[in-house]
Amino acid sequence: MNTNLSREVVFSDDAAMGRAGMSRRDFIKGIIATGASISAMGYVFGGCAGDMGSAPGAVERLISLNVNGRVRRVDVLPQETLAMTLRYKLGLTGTKLGCDRGECGACTVLVDDVAMYSCSTLTHRVRGRSVVTVEGLEGEDGALHPVQRAFIEELGPQCGFCTPGQVMSAVALLEINPNPTREEARIAMSGNLCRCGAYDNYLNSVMRAAKEAS
Amino acid sequence: MAYQLIGKNFTPPDVAAKVTGKAKYAEDFRAEGMVFCRLLLSTMPRARVRNIDVSEAMKMKGVVGILTADDVPEQNAPNNPILTNNPHYVGDPILAVAALDEQTAQDAIDKIAIDYEPLPFTLDPLESLYPGGTNAREDGNIRNRRSGSETIKWTAGDFVEKDVCPTGKPATEWSYGEVDQGFENAKLIVDESFVTANNPHHSMEPRSCMALWQNGKCFVYGATQSQSRPTRDLARLLDMDSEDLVYIAEYCGGGFGSKGTAYPVMAIPPLMSKKVGRPVMMRISRAEEYFIGSARHGFQGRIRIGFLGNGRISALDMYIIQENGAYRGGGDWTAAGDAVSLVYTPQAMRFRGIPVYTNTPIRGAQRGPGQNQIACVVEPLLDKAAEELGLDQLAVRRINAPDNDSKYGRRQGPVTSVYMREALDKGDEAFDWAGKKQKSRQKSGSKVIGVGIGQAYHAAGSNGYDGLVRLTPEGKLHIHSGVGNLGTFSHTATSRVAAEVLTCKWENCVIERGDSRRHLPWNHAQWGSNTSFTMTRTNYVAAMDAKNKLLEITAKDLGGSPDDYDLSDERVVHKTDKSKSLGFADAAKRAIELGGKYDGHEAPEDIHDMTKASVAGLAGTGLIGVAKDNLKREGVVPAMAVGFIEIELDLETGKYEILDYVGVAECGTVLHPQGLETQIKGGAVMGFGLAALERYVYDPQNGLPANMGLYQCKPPSYLDVPSEMKTEVVDIADPQNPVGAKGIGEPVQGCAAAALLCAISDALDGHYFNRMPVTTDHIVNAAAGREQSYKVLQVNTV
Amino acid sequence: MLRDMMANFELYQPTAIDHALNLMNRYGDDGWVLAGGQDSFDWFKDRAKKPRAVIDINGIDDLHGIRETADGIEIGALTTLTEIETSALIKEKYGVLADAARHVASPQIRNAGTIGGNVCQDTRCWYYRYGLDCYRAGGNTCYADTPEGIDREHCLFGADRCIAVSPSDTAPALVALDARMVVVNGDGEKEVQAEDFFIGPDVDIMRMTILQPGDLLKSIVIPNTWAGARFYFEKVAERNTWDFALVNIAAAMKVDNNAISDIRIACGGVACVPLRLTVVEEVVKGSPPNGASADLAASAATRGATPLNYNGFKIPLMESLVKRAIRES
Ligand SMILES: Cc1cc2nc3c(=O)[nH]c(=O)nc-3n(C[C@H](O)[C@H](O)[C@H](O)COP(=O)(O)OP(=O)(O)OC[C@H]3O[C@@H](n4cnc5c(N)ncnc54)[C@H](O)[C@@H]3O)c2cc1C
Ligand code: SF4
Ligand code: FES
Ligand code: FES
Repeated sequence: MNTNLSREVVFSDDAAMGRAGMSRRDFIKGIIATGASISAMGYVFGGCAGDMGSAPGAVERLISLNVNGRVRRVDVLPQETLAMTLRYKLGLTGTKLGCDRGECGACTVLVDDVAMYSCSTLTHRVRGRSVVTVEGLEGEDGALHPVQRAFIEELGPQCGFCTPGQVMSAVALLEINPNPTREEARIAMSGNLCRCGAYDNYLNSVMRAAKEAS
Repeated sequence: MAYQLIGKNFTPPDVAAKVTGKAKYAEDFRAEGMVFCRLLLSTMPRARVRNIDVSEAMKMKGVVGILTADDVPEQNAPNNPILTNNPHYVGDPILAVAALDEQTAQDAIDKIAIDYEPLPFTLDPLESLYPGGTNAREDGNIRNRRSGSETIKWTAGDFVEKDVCPTGKPATEWSYGEVDQGFENAKLIVDESFVTANNPHHSMEPRSCMALWQNGKCFVYGATQSQSRPTRDLARLLDMDSEDLVYIAEYCGGGFGSKGTAYPVMAIPPLMSKKVGRPVMMRISRAEEYFIGSARHGFQGRIRIGFLGNGRISALDMYIIQENGAYRGGGDWTAAGDAVSLVYTPQAMRFRGIPVYTNTPIRGAQRGPGQNQIACVVEPLLDKAAEELGLDQLAVRRINAPDNDSKYGRRQGPVTSVYMREALDKGDEAFDWAGKKQKSRQKSGSKVIGVGIGQAYHAAGSNGYDGLVRLTPEGKLHIHSGVGNLGTFSHTATSRVAAEVLTCKWENCVIERGDSRRHLPWNHAQWGSNTSFTMTRTNYVAAMDAKNKLLEITAKDLGGSPDDYDLSDERVVHKTDKSKSLGFADAAKRAIELGGKYDGHEAPEDIHDMTKASVAGLAGTGLIGVAKDNLKREGVVPAMAVGFIEIELDLETGKYEILDYVGVAECGTVLHPQGLETQIKGGAVMGFGLAALERYVYDPQNGLPANMGLYQCKPPSYLDVPSEMKTEVVDIADPQNPVGAKGIGEPVQGCAAAALLCAISDALDGHYFNRMPVTTDHIVNAAAGREQSYKVLQVNTV
Repeated sequence: MLRDMMANFELYQPTAIDHALNLMNRYGDDGWVLAGGQDSFDWFKDRAKKPRAVIDINGIDDLHGIRETADGIEIGALTTLTEIETSALIKEKYGVLADAARHVASPQIRNAGTIGGNVCQDTRCWYYRYGLDCYRAGGNTCYADTPEGIDREHCLFGADRCIAVSPSDTAPALVALDARMVVVNGDGEKEVQAEDFFIGPDVDIMRMTILQPGDLLKSIVIPNTWAGARFYFEKVAERNTWDFALVNIAAAMKVDNNAISDIRIACGGVACVPLRLTVVEEVVKGSPPNGASADLAASAATRGATPLNYNGFKIPLMESLVKRAIRES
């Protein structure tokens, strides 16, 4: 047997532009200077400006995001995914990362009412659109969304890690189809993996939520 | 017995946080100044690291620290290392880099040059056992029973029989009864070689971890399915006092055995944090979870079973070669032998086995370790035998089913209780076995019906841990639980026993858990289906201790002896003179006044140090009930499960649909019906994956894994399992548990997996696959009468 | 080795085709067109592809939507798979395409993934995706086509150094519908038959389609010829969500007087391109769409198939799907 793999030098360095060169303090200072408001817990992922985005027509890093009905100015890298922006810049950790590859659905959020994998959506793509995460479902009085209530009553979650994503898919479904059949619900929910295998109870939850809303 | 709480549904206190996103898992914590760390994983299946050049990486702005194997405590071989200079599989962590941001950490890793000296490697236990075959490790090719390594090579002669699993010198061997005689008495002997695949746990939450140091204390936010156990074990890994470790694991996104206690990579964030002086977050990616997140052991093996004319098993002889991965691994192979001895009660049995290292990722217990693989091997063979003997599949299971007098394992010890026939009866009725069997093998176009029954077992209970409860002057009952939160809600279901004993209203109970600062007792890990049995006992003894103290205090104050009083509705009431009574809130105040053992200023001698520290921390805050579980336990505590299944298989495409599934649990008294139901169904889902989807695939030429991500590993989705399943329970109390409870989480997977395999075979006129999982391509080949593309004993392949 | 961490790139979000083409020209090989991103992000996160500039074309309105034209329909390249799956027009006239779209990946991927991206996506050969320097990645070896290569998902037909297969579910449907791909670049616009759009390793081992750097797929035109014909689509994958086809099949058939008067049939997962089964078409034309014709068609379909180490099952599977397509369209 041989290991004929020369994997070390596959990647050229020309793209290694603008490596992280900012401390957290620099970053925060930068934000303050531009009058931006982000949540207190902001984290940098990489690449300070450098020559990034300097070419004409490239995206502006400082953008407005409408998340859960609130518009905020956020500094967003070109390659940043929505999941990372939500979790690390806006402090919305209800959106989970199970795979970061479109293979599990834990990161599901609504973009203009459509269920999307936030791990596989660039934040720059949702500029000017409305993003809803699991944190945005509760009513102003703190009342749970009917889907959330049904998930509790039917004991949908087990470990709970896939649950926010499941809830979001259920909400998306009921928006467009308030009275789904169980089979329709099953198909609509099918982009959400549950390793605990709680599918049956989740479907019971969706059906209950539909029934109670009607 | 009529209970107020036990056997009733309730809303678990942690479920609302799960549906609102407020539940905090390890990766959800943040700390001021937090930096990120990433791992550099071996690209070689086996190598020695000759040199690591970090100069380019260290020059990068934003890089704050690097941790290599030389900087971390060494673990005794063959235990899993924290970091290593001798990688033993592709993906073995070599070093970690911390940087101000995660991308810089990864960019830095891309700039680190590792000079590897490649070493010979192996991916096949049989190849390693062959004379002159490669050893996956320097210290040998097998793990012996003392958890050391040694080298065992078989003779070329052992390998001569073609397509039959060789059975050379084992690492362990045991037997009971007259095995040869049993085979002589047999009317039919089935003799098969088999392979069961390795498969990764792939819990939904990758094992991310955040750590920081403050005033000499280390805070770790980890992903573990247990609480007290990993607190101790992580302190050991870090070589520190567990009192200086604050461990937070309030939520865990699935573990299935892989997060039972602290694991080596968990030590990296605390060690890195110490080194760089900042909080460190280590996010684990899905691919990394594949490499370090553990996997079920695959087996190669041979089994011979002798049947009498009535289907009774007269003799059973089994040999298991466990693929061990490159490190310590778990005890699946021996557990499989023990399981077979109980589930099928062979009149005589011999077990032999050997765990052999391969250069593949670390292994560990996965839901029903050993028991569930072997159920998938044996159950379809029962059907094969039944068919040849002209017997019904259910009848063969009934005649071999264990009961309360059955014996267990190599020592043929006792069991606490087993009601397997009752479980089969429940399933028979709910599923309508006789009716369904009529439909077996009926064809409609290219589709054909298959039916099957699967059975599985797990030892589901332990003892000797501590219970701790506290009644406060506000009249609240705080139940302190150090078990963990795997997602079964059993932390709460078992806590209700304390409320039951103390006649407390559920609204007045508070579960203290999830954070070592909450004064938690020493409890067992939340693994091995043991929680229901073990934790009901600890909560029972703690509550009984509190009860005795309540009675004593009342007798002191209101006269008479403690025996004159009893508990009722959160009061201590005189048995005959109901006017004499004391409320719990007042009793708690009195306990504080009395001090000593009553309010935790004194603690029992025999409790664990961790519990003692917790009691000391609570001293003076209320009436403390604390005790070690010294209740009697004689014998193994069996959890049994049975699954009945009907499928419709398309002979042209190899695809099937599960038309009906009934899962039956035999787990003593039911504590929480809704929770139990989710376990039976969720276990079945995972079982269908085990039987027919999930597996390791490696290229033997270069040791590379083909199936890392979820889309390649294929855990079942909504559309791969029935949208509705049925559940049944036997619900007969176990005599060795104060409320009659036993665990259940594991066998509910194995029975479903085995049932599905039986049904697939049934649909294919009884074709036995000798292999698990049975995937679409295997079915297509079998249905078309084509030879399979894999060799009979080939592992880590399609 | 998977890195799960994208490297830096410049991001452009042009709103007009011209603007996009300019950027694509400017960056050439260093540019990357981003549609739904559902294939692209894997490459970026693995750092197996590190473009300097990513040109996100979603802001270009002209590339969205389904239009009825005089001789059929035109589907903008950015039309999502969900839109295709739920389009009343497509369901009514070209059901096979709606069916194929419905079988892609998962609902969320279909909400983001575009038809353009679906037909342009790269192969799933795991060695290649792992980031190895194989032929397709510009190296000079194939890791799969080796004595012990793990090649269960690989091809039966058209091997030429590379044995990878076409992963797309919509591609066979488009071939069956005789679709045309509208490609624009700095020089103008051209239409290419779907069948010719997909290319094998014999033509270019590093690309799956004829698109060169600078080429943009603008839309897909489906002629009226097959509107409302009898259709068949089936995909066999191990899981019913997220899984790529082991084999899939799409057929469009016209029947007159119980005889197949015309048919187009294409199969995915068996070659580097969605394989049009012209022999099958010839064999069954004029015959009734029954079991006997189906059996004949099936054996014709796999003639010349060259199984590898582990993919022999694709022969009976492909035969079954061909049979079903003839029998059950
Ligand atoms: C977990 C998973 C499972 C999947 N399962 C399936 C499946 O079952 N069946 C299936 O068919 N696919 C499957 N896919 C692939 C996915 O559906 C397709 O990749 C998706 O449709 C691609 O569309 P997109 O718009 O997101 O592509 P992008 O990622 O945006 O683009 C893909 C490629 O096409 C190029 N491209 C896109 N649009 C144009 C254009 N207009 N002009 C020129 N070039 C263009 C891009 O440069 C890129 O190279 C799966 C993907 C994942 C992650
Ligand atoms: S089959 Fe093609 S893509 Fe796969 S390794 Fe070989 S050359 Fe590369
Ligand atoms: S984290 Fe986005 S799909 Fe898994
Ligand atoms: S509840 Fe654990 S993964 Fe779904």
